[in-house]
Amino acid sequence: MAAITLIEAVNMAMAHEMEHDKEVVVFGEDVGINGGVFRATDGLQQKFGEERVIDTPLAEAMIAGLAIGMAAQGMKPVAEIQFMGFIFPAADHIISHCARMRNRTRGRLTLPMVIRAPFGGGIHAPENHSESTEAIFAHIPGLKVVIPSNPSRAYGLMLAAIRDPDPVIFLEPKRVYRIEKHEIEDNGEEYPIGMCFVDREGTDITLISWGAMMHETKQAAEKLAAEGISAEVIDVATVSPLDIDTILESVEKTGRACIIQEAPKAGAVGSEIAAEIAEKRVTSLLAPIGRVSGYDTVVPYYRLEKQYMPKVEHIVEEAKRLMEYR
Amino acid sequence: MKTFNLPDLGEGLPDAEIVRWLVKEGDLVALDQPMVEMETAKAVVEVPSPYKGTITKLCGNEGDVIEVGAVLVEFDGDGSSSNSPESASAPSAVETPAAAETKTTEAPQPTTTTAVATDVFNLPDLGEGLPDAEIVRWLVAEGDTLALDQPMVEMETAKAVVEVPSPFAATVAKLHGQAGDVIEVGAALVTFGSAGSVAAETKQPEPAVSSDSDDKPADAATVVGAVEVGNKVVIESASAVIKALARKLKVDLSQVVGTGANGAVTQSDIKQAKADGKLIGSKPQPAVVATSSNVSSDENPLDFKASPAVRAHARRLGVALSQCSANGRKGTITKADVDAAASSPASSVASAPAARSSTAGGGLPTVQVSVEPQTVRGVRRAMAMGMAKAHATVVPTTLMEDADITSWPKQDSLARYVRALVFASKIEPALNAWFDGEKFERLVHPNVHVGIAVDSPDGLYVPVIHNADSKDANQVRARVQELREKIENKGLKQDDQQGGTITLSNFGSIAGRYGTPVVSPPQVAILGTGRFRNELKLTAKGIENRKMLPLSLTFDHRACTGGEAARFLAAVIEDLQKPL
Repeated sequence: MAAITLIEAVNMAMAHEMEHDKEVVVFGEDVGINGGVFRATDGLQQKFGEERVIDTPLAEAMIAGLAIGMAAQGMKPVAEIQFMGFIFPAADHIISHCARMRNRTRGRLTLPMVIRAPFGGGIHAPENHSESTEAIFAHIPGLKVVIPSNPSRAYGLMLAAIRDPDPVIFLEPKRVYRIEKHEIEDNGEEYPIGMCFVDREGTDITLISWGAMMHETKQAAEKLAAEGISAEVIDVATVSPLDIDTILESVEKTGRACIIQEAPKAGAVGSEIAAEIAEKRVTSLLAPIGRVSGYDTVVPYYRLEKQYMPKVEHIVEEAKRLMEYR
Repeated sequence: MKTFNLPDLGEGLPDAEIVRWLVKEGDLVALDQPMVEMETAKAVVEVPSPYKGTITKLCGNEGDVIEVGAVLVEFDGDGSSSNSPESASAPSAVETPAAAETKTTEAPQPTTTTAVATDVFNLPDLGEGLPDAEIVRWLVAEGDTLALDQPMVEMETAKAVVEVPSPFAATVAKLHGQAGDVIEVGAALVTFGSAGSVAAETKQPEPAVSSDSDDKPADAATVVGAVEVGNKVVIESASAVIKALARKLKVDLSQVVGTGANGAVTQSDIKQAKADGKLIGSKPQPAVVATSSNVSSDENPLDFKASPAVRAHARRLGVALSQCSANGRKGTITKADVDAAASSPASSVASAPAARSSTAGGGLPTVQVSVEPQTVRGVRRAMAMGMAKAHATVVPTTLMEDADITSWPKQDSLARYVRALVFASKIEPALNAWFDGEKFERLVHPNVHVGIAVDSPDGLYVPVIHNADSKDANQVRARVQELREKIENKGLKQDDQQGGTITLSNFGSIAGRYGTPVVSPPQVAILGTGRFRNELKLTAKGIENRKMLPLSLTFDHRACTGGEAARFLAAVIEDLQKPL
C-alpha cells in the first residue's frame, strides 16, 4: 500500500472507477497526452484509451455542455476545468442546466457527472489561478460541492462523487496537492458525501474549516491545546449541502464557534455556517461567532500573497479572543 | 528531532497508561530495545524503540494516560540531519561544528553531519519548464549562515516570482549573479562554503532543488506556480470517517461491534448495523454532560440556555443563571427572568430548574457540590464493551441449585470449583464450547480452560487457567496465585486472558446467594458460586445442619439445550459433593 499525495489519490480514484465502470469517461484541457497540468489524469489515456480520456479544446462552456449531454444519456463524465478561475464560461451550463436537470424533468433525467477543478491560492500563481469561489456553486440548489482536505478524503469522496446520481462540483485544494501523503488501499471504498468529519474532539471551541485551510486549523488546535484550550476541529468536506447538524451539535457542546476559510469573507460558505449557528443555537453561544478568512479583495500577486492567506496565528488569536470574551 | 507517537497497542483502544519507563532521557537506545511498559485495557505491553538513537524527552510520567497517536518519546536528530537513525547516532560519523560557526543564537544542533568542503547549488527548474530565470533580489549575503529551507533569492520566471530556499544548513561562500541577471537552469547560483548537512529526505525544498530531470516534480513542465511538496506520511482519522458515515446512515455506533483489525469498526459494520436496525434512538442513550474545561466556577454556563445578551445582562446584575427560572421558549432564560432573580433572589431560587442549593430556611448550611463525569478507560471500558456485546448477542438462561458440601475438609474452595467444572465438562462437553452465532458454528473443546472473574479497583479481569483438566489442585492453586500477583503488579499479559472455554465467577466470596452471571461470547457457559450457608435439612436421619453451596449456571441457549445444561449442573454438584 503506497503512500500517495492528494493529487495521486484523485488519479487513483478516477482510475479505479474507469476500471470498474465503463460508463466513466474523463475529459478536459491537457488531460490526455499531457496527463493534466497537475498530473491528476497522469497515465489514464495510456491505460483507458483516447475514447475514454479525451483532450478537449480550450472551451470550458463546451466541456460542461459535453458533460451534461453525456450524463443525460447515462454516461458518467468526469470533466476537468484546469483552474477554478476558468470555470465561469461553463457557469451557464452548470447553473442553468446541470444543476436543475433533475428538477426540470421531474426526475426523469439525472446527471451523474463530476466537474473537477483545482482551486485556492498559496502557490505563487496569478490571481485567477488562486481564487476560492466555492460559495458561488454552494449557493446553487441542485449542485453538491465537495472539497477534500487530505489524500484519503480525496480518494473516498471522488469515488462517491463519480457514483453519485447527481452532479458534483469537486474542488481540489491545490496548495495541499503534495504537502503530505496517506497510505491508501485502492479498495474502492467511498466516503460519505454530505457529512462533516470531526477530526479532533474538544470542549471549549469548535474550529470549522475545509480544504487546504484544514492544515492551518489543525495546527492551530495543537497550539491552543498547549495553552489549555480544548478545540474541536471539523472538516466540513461537503460545503453544499451542509451537514449543519454535526456543526450545531458541536457548538452546543463547546459554546463557541470559529470558522476558518481561505475565501473572501463576504457572502462565503463561512457566512452561511455562521448564520445557521446564529439562527439555531444562539442560546448556546458563550461568545460571538468568529471568522478567520481571506480579505474581500482579489487575491494579490505573489509578493503579497502571504499577507492574504490566513495563518495559524490568526486562528489562534481569534480563538483566544472568543475564549476571553465576556 | 524525531518523535515517536504511541501506536495502537493491539487492542483498538484509544489510549494506554504508562506503567513504568525502562529508559531515561539521554539514554542511547538500540532498535527494538524496550522503552516503556504501557497498560491497555487487557494487558501490559512493552513498547520497543523504532529507532536507534538518543532519547531527548520522555513525554509523560508513570500513571499518565497517553492517547494513541500522541507523542510518547522524542529522539535526537532533526530535519537537517540525515534521516537515517543509524547515522544520526553512529559514533564514527565525522562531527562538524557547523552550529558553532554560525552567527545565529540558535542552540547547536546535536546532529552529526558529513563534512563537505564546498558545494555548488545550481538553479533548478522553477516549475515552468522554462530555460532560465531572472534574479529579482538576493535575500542573503556572502558569509551568511543559512538554515535549511531559508529563502535565499527571489527569482522571476515567465509567470511568477519564486523564492528559492536553501537546500542546506550551511554558510554562503559565493553568490553567482546580481539582481537583474538571467541565470540559466542548471547554472551555478550559490556556492556554499562549509556545508552543513545535506537536505533532509523528508522534505524536498520548494521547488525541487536538483537539476537532474528525474527529480523534477511530475508537473514541472506545465504547472503554473509552485506547489509545496512534502513526503510526510500522515494517518487518516479513520474514526472521523466512521462517525460521519454512522451519522449519515443514522446508525447508533454504541451498538456496532467492530470486525476490522483490532476490533475497529469498518464501513461494512456500519452498513450491516443499518440493515440490522441499530439506529439512533433504538436504544435509550444516557445524557451526555459536557463541561467546559476553561470555566472555573462551579456553574457550567452551558447548563443554561440564554442568549448572549441575557447572559451579559445577568453578569451586569451579578445574577447567577442557576438562580434564574427559565420562562422563555424551550426553557431559555429571558431578560425578565434575570430581572426577577435580581429583585427577589430567594423566591426565584425555589423555582429554578437547575438550582443546586438547598432552600431550607434554617438548620444546616447549604452545600454545593460539583461532580464531573469521568471517562471510563482501560479495563473498565473493556468490561463495558464486552458486556454490551454479550447482552446484544447471547440468549442467556440461568439454572440455580445447591450443592451439599458438609463433607468438605477445610480447603481452598476455588480449586474445587475448577475441578468440578473440569469434571462436568467431561460428562457434558456441550457447555465447554465456543459458539459463533453469525456463522452458526460450534467448537466443542477437548480441553478445559477456565476463566476466573477477578474483581479489582481497575475493573473486571478474567484471567485464564489453561488446561485446567491436566492440572492437579496444587497446580491450580499455584496458577491462581500467579494470576493474583500479576493483577496486583499490573503484569497481566494478553496471553493470560485469552483462550478461556468456560468461566467461573465466585461472587459468593463477597456476598450473594444466586445470581445471573453474564456469558462472555464465544463461550457458552459461566458458573457462579454463591456464599455458602448452614441450613437445616430434612434427611433420612431427621433434621440435620448441612453446609449448602448455592450455584448459578448461565448458559447460552443458542448453543446448548436445557437438558445439556441441567446434566452439566448435576455433574458439577456430583463432583462438589465428594468429600475429597
